[in-house]
Amino acid sequence: MHRQARYFLEESWLLLIATILFGVLLASLDAAWRPRIIHNEIAKFNRLAGAMLSEAAEFRTQVEALPVESGKGKTIATEIKKGVDANGRTVGWAFIAEGPGFADKIRLVVAVDAAFEELRGFGVLFSNETPGFGDKMKTDDFRNQFVGAPASDLELGKTGDRSVIDDHIVAITGATVTSEAVVDVLNRFVGQVRAGMKEKGLI
Amino acid sequence: MAGLWQENPVLRLLLGMCPTLAVTAAVKPALTMGLSVIFVLVCSNIVVSLMRNLLKSHLRILMFTLTIATFVTIADLFLKAFVPDMSETLGPYIPLIIVNCIIICRAEACASKNGVFISVIDAVGMGLGFTITLCVLAGVRELLATGKIAEQVVMPQAFVPWAAMGLPVGAFITLGLILALVNQVTKKQA
Repeated sequence: MHRQARYFLEESWLLLIATILFGVLLASLDAAWRPRIIHNEIAKFNRLAGAMLSEAAEFRTQVEALPVESGKGKTIATEIKKGVDANGRTVGWAFIAEGPGFADKIRLVVAVDAAFEELRGFGVLFSNETPGFGDKMKTDDFRNQFVGAPASDLELGKTGDRSVIDDHIVAITGATVTSEAVVDVLNRFVGQVRAGMKEKGLI
Repeated sequence: MAGLWQENPVLRLLLGMCPTLAVTAAVKPALTMGLSVIFVLVCSNIVVSLMRNLLKSHLRILMFTLTIATFVTIADLFLKAFVPDMSETLGPYIPLIIVNCIIICRAEACASKNGVFISVIDAVGMGLGFTITLCVLAGVRELLATGKIAEQVVMPQAFVPWAAMGLPVGAFITLGLILALVNQVTKKQA
């Protein structure tokens, strides 16, 4: 037993020391930079949500982790933030929604009005969709048709008039999968978040 | 400094093809990727060179991977903290530097057999060769796909962007043409 332990230490001492040193180095850097990384994430969320809820002076966390079933039996905990104006009046709600896109996962910031009846739009937090096709989900032409749309199940079609604001969303030409992904993520999250907030008596 | 031309990792050794094809749709992400690779290459070569006499031969690949993974994680954290937009643009390709053949190849072929000075020079040469190649590829693709270089408009208004150059097909075509050109040049030199 003693010989085995000695052999183990003789062979692996460098690996053990390197692991400890590298671990300490990474832990130190993570501790130093983590507040900045979190600040960047919050700033981006606030920037996107603030563009949709322009009356909001700040966003306050209302629910830290609301469980949402995001498909294939996977549950995601999403943070619900309340947008309040300078007088402290609620002007809307914002939260992160995510799901599979065409090339990679897509993460959206979704904003709804104070009564949770109308969408105020979505902003793209992360996507890796095909340049020239799927990434048109970031364009105003596609996104504007969600502003004022009912916060209920939306349906996607290949044709229609994008200037008409209702529950019918016109897909991006050449990027049906991405368009379906956006509508699916919104339908999945908006419904469940509203149910969760009603349960908590927030709306 | 053989990495700049004679042993250029992309054009002559055909290493690091994954980022070469994936992040060269525009110059800025290509440059960021190149600088990240230089940082990881230089740091891992220094560490591997310093511990080369202590390495057990059957554990060396494990040690190389551990060292490389540490510096890639530092690069990833740095980008997330200080250049968050670029970090998002590059997505998983920064963490994937861990499996970039160029870095483990230089640890094995150079740093584990040479002193710190030679290892650093080798890393800088290889890293610069990789970065310059990525930027050239990205410059051609961005110019043809958008009419811009590093987001600055350089083509006349009449220019019709060739969107396909921003897609994977554009990466394969551009890389193939540049490789053919390099082969032609080196054949003439020989």
